[in-house]
Amino acid sequence: MEFYTKPGDYDAINYIPEAQSHGTKELWRTFWILLGITVLDFIIYFVMPHTGFRNFIFIFFGIVKAYYIVGAFMHMKYEKINLALVILVPTVFIIGLVMGLLYEGNALTYAK
Amino acid sequence: MANHQEATFEQQPMWAGGRSPFNVSYGKLMMWLFLLSDAFTFSSLLVQYGAQRFSNVQSPIVTKWPDPASIFNHFPWMHGLHLPLLFVSVMTFILIMSSVTMVLAVEAGHRKSKKEVVRYMIYTIIGGAMFLGCQAWEWSVFIGEGATLYGNQFGITEAGHKVFGALKFGDHFEWQPEYRTSGPVPFAALFFIVTGFHGFHVFSGVIINIVVTIMAARGVFDRRGHYEMIEKAGLYWHFVDLVWVFVFTFFYLI
Repeated sequence: MEFYTKPGDYDAINYIPEAQSHGTKELWRTFWILLGITVLDFIIYFVMPHTGFRNFIFIFFGIVKAYYIVGAFMHMKYEKINLALVILVPTVFIIGLVMGLLYEGNALTYAK
Repeated sequence: MANHQEATFEQQPMWAGGRSPFNVSYGKLMMWLFLLSDAFTFSSLLVQYGAQRFSNVQSPIVTKWPDPASIFNHFPWMHGLHLPLLFVSVMTFILIMSSVTMVLAVEAGHRKSKKEVVRYMIYTIIGGAMFLGCQAWEWSVFIGEGATLYGNQFGITEAGHKVFGALKFGDHFEWQPEYRTSGPVPFAALFFIVTGFHGFHVFSGVIINIVVTIMAARGVFDRRGHYEMIEKAGLYWHFVDLVWVFVFTFFYLI
């Protein structure tokens, strides 16, 4: 096995991996899923009474939509796991923070 | 030399330096990291919004925070009808659609098909411009109803609650002065800051897309031998779509 030991052997700045097409079938499937979930949002908004559970459903649907946008549209599925973890792990904590503060906001009502 | 690099790239020790452990180009990695930092920016705005909004709920029935359905219930050319969520759903559809044409442009770029890239990029630009037009219309209606950064007269009185609660989708409806009262101050300011920040992202995304489309049409990427710039612009554009998913959820649905 040969390693690049001398500087300049491998140009990290100008390196471009070979792009390959994964076809359009999956993209259109993702589009229909996103549209379906948005229509479901619309229906649930008018059918269900406004409760915390309904809010939970909407946030959950938002995360499902985010999964499909990031996974299929932004090609995260085809990236190396290293890159996916660098991007996704902090995001998970941030989503937790947003949901937590929505919930804790209620307690602030009585503290004000 | 080029063949030597491609043949042994995967055999290089991953974290020993001198190569990207992520197997993406420098530019794409930086775009991903920028998007991560941008996600933090939007999240901090949403955290502020969530804490403000849910600290103004008094009981499950009477809320001091204005119900979005009582304000964003307009639709162009349908004056005086109660149509909550309809217009934003159309905006969401436009943005999802432009995301699809963007990803089709990226896919065409992988096949190095210049004609298709330019065509899909033009569709994407049109979608982005349509979205911005919709947002301008919504802002102008909201401001026309008296929204300011410093106050909020969209609180609902008991009388307003009774009338509003009985309202069905598509009913004729006009707000009377006695239905409304003052509400929590940051309501309109947060709406303007968050949707404005998102709208500014859409605007800069449209500008980036126009620049990239002109470059593609002039054959710059053909000369470079790859269409990676389309991918980078695409990452940004999808991120804008992603943020809208959450703005839609937190500002209109909840």
